Amino acid sequence: MIETHNLSKAYKGVQALKDLNLTVKQHSIFGFLGPNGAGKTTTMKLLLGLIRPTSGSGTVFGQDIVRDSIAIRSRIGYLPQQPRFAGDMSARETLHFTARFFFSGPRPKIEARVDEMLDLVGLQDKADRPVNGFSGGERQRLGLALAQVNYPELLILDEPAAALDPIGRHEVLQVMERLRAHTTIFYSTHILDDVQHVSDTVAILNHGELLAQGPIEDLLAGGDKPVYTLSLKGDARRALARIEALPWVSGVHEVAHDGLETWEISVTDDQAAEAQLLSHVLAGEALTVVEFSRRKFELEEIFMSIVEGGTNGR
Amino acid sequence: MVANTELQRVGLSGWRTGLANLMRKENHAWWASLRQLVQSLLWTVVINGFVALMAFVLLPAGREVDPTLESLESLTMGAELLFKIGLLALAFRTIVLAQDEILGERQLGVTEWLLSKPVSRPAYVLSKLLAHGLGVLVTLVGLHGALGYGLLSLIIGEPFPLPPYLLGMAGLAVHTLFYLALTLMMGVLTANRRVLLGVSQGVLLGGALLTNLPGTAVMLTPWGLVNVLPAAVLELPLPLPIWLPIGVTAILSVISVAVTLARFERLEF
Repeated sequence: MIETHNLSKAYKGVQALKDLNLTVKQHSIFGFLGPNGAGKTTTMKLLLGLIRPTSGSGTVFGQDIVRDSIAIRSRIGYLPQQPRFAGDMSARETLHFTARFFFSGPRPKIEARVDEMLDLVGLQDKADRPVNGFSGGERQRLGLALAQVNYPELLILDEPAAALDPIGRHEVLQVMERLRAHTTIFYSTHILDDVQHVSDTVAILNHGELLAQGPIEDLLAGGDKPVYTLSLKGDARRALARIEALPWVSGVHEVAHDGLETWEISVTDDQAAEAQLLSHVLAGEALTVVEFSRRKFELEEIFMSIVEGGTNGR
Repeated sequence: MVANTELQRVGLSGWRTGLANLMRKENHAWWASLRQLVQSLLWTVVINGFVALMAFVLLPAGREVDPTLESLESLTMGAELLFKIGLLALAFRTIVLAQDEILGERQLGVTEWLLSKPVSRPAYVLSKLLAHGLGVLVTLVGLHGALGYGLLSLIIGEPFPLPPYLLGMAGLAVHTLFYLALTLMMGVLTANRRVLLGVSQGVLLGGALLTNLPGTAVMLTPWGLVNVLPAAVLELPLPLPIWLPIGVTAILSVISVAVTLARFERLEF
């Protein structure tokens, strides 16, 4: 759906995006994460043709983001970070005006689509008020309706839940879940909890550089540096020495508590660890294994570790 | 739920993509706003009212106290005021009306939102130019022209000859459109409203001062129209063919539009 190849953007000598190689697959909900100024909005604007790349290239639907920008935009829905519309129009008029960029008729069907969008974002009761009187949350909801009015194949959402209260945020996430079957969603956010709930793929960007990209399950499982948690009862000193000597074990962090020995074992070969780790621990020892599992990380841990580490992986 | 297949898709049409829809919006914004129409009406009524006051009240009263004013004909003064004040006032009003059209939308983020839709950049610029050009021509130039024609006819007591008057109005229309094109161009060249207004109004008012310079070169410019148009309407001898300053002003307008299109194509949002 989206492919970029060394896509870069500099503003007056300041590199906003460096050699971005991104792949977004069809029907995924792709969370684009990064602190402020990481280059998320710049990437989205490049995909939409609102700015031009300094170097590199990109395609959306297999079409070039510079050469075929209008054709790409005819199949996309976009919600900017701070939605702004022609202030003298009502929400209904704004939706109707936007729909007319995509559809010429028949008028009743366009009206039906407009009503459907107003219902979807809960703005039916404010449909005929001028949008310049809307609150930030109402603007955001209208922006979401406008982004979907053409049933786009790809939705690009820049911080879609940023201005919403918890209920509004929950509703946006539900809408995104519902749309998964019909469309691909590429969105940026600071709210990591939301990403963990709805995204199937994530990318983490910092200072214009892509630090990590992949299925969220892989990332939460530690990516290419998994960690296993093992809790034992008994004298585990010899077992620990055996484990530390294994070539695919890169480190063991020990915690003793209430007569229970807990190890966090970082490994470099996931398959070997899964198949052999437990048997190496139990070989010739009278130990009781209380818990053995591959550690699941919280996205926030991963995010902080990657962003603060500044390198690929933890 | 209405499926996309039940709706007629708008086809992509190169540089015209999105133009029709944008034109509808701009025309609606111009014509649906009663305030704008009333202001334009007031503007032209005030200009023509001033000309009427001079021609029918102040000049006759002045002749009674100062016999040297006998030589000043009401018609000459009426035509001079109508076109000299008209050129400046309509251009000024056009600058005020157009100042927000591109710059304001850029600053508010409306342009970014519009250009995220299937809209070509030339379509965005042309929708502003065409819709506002039509609005300015009808509500400012047309109204001013109709009132002015009635006024000159009243002064001479019979219908004023139409061909020279229409020539004068054509010059006035081209001059007003030049300032529309200039203001839109400045909305693309700068992100600073004071610079936009400073340059647009500076060109208008500063240029008017140049008309006092000797020689015919300045007569070739938009500013020269201030002196040339009233003479053309009164069918007085001119130092150069009337189509020359009108043509130069039209060419400068086309150049302004070309610069706007070229620069807007490279703008980033």
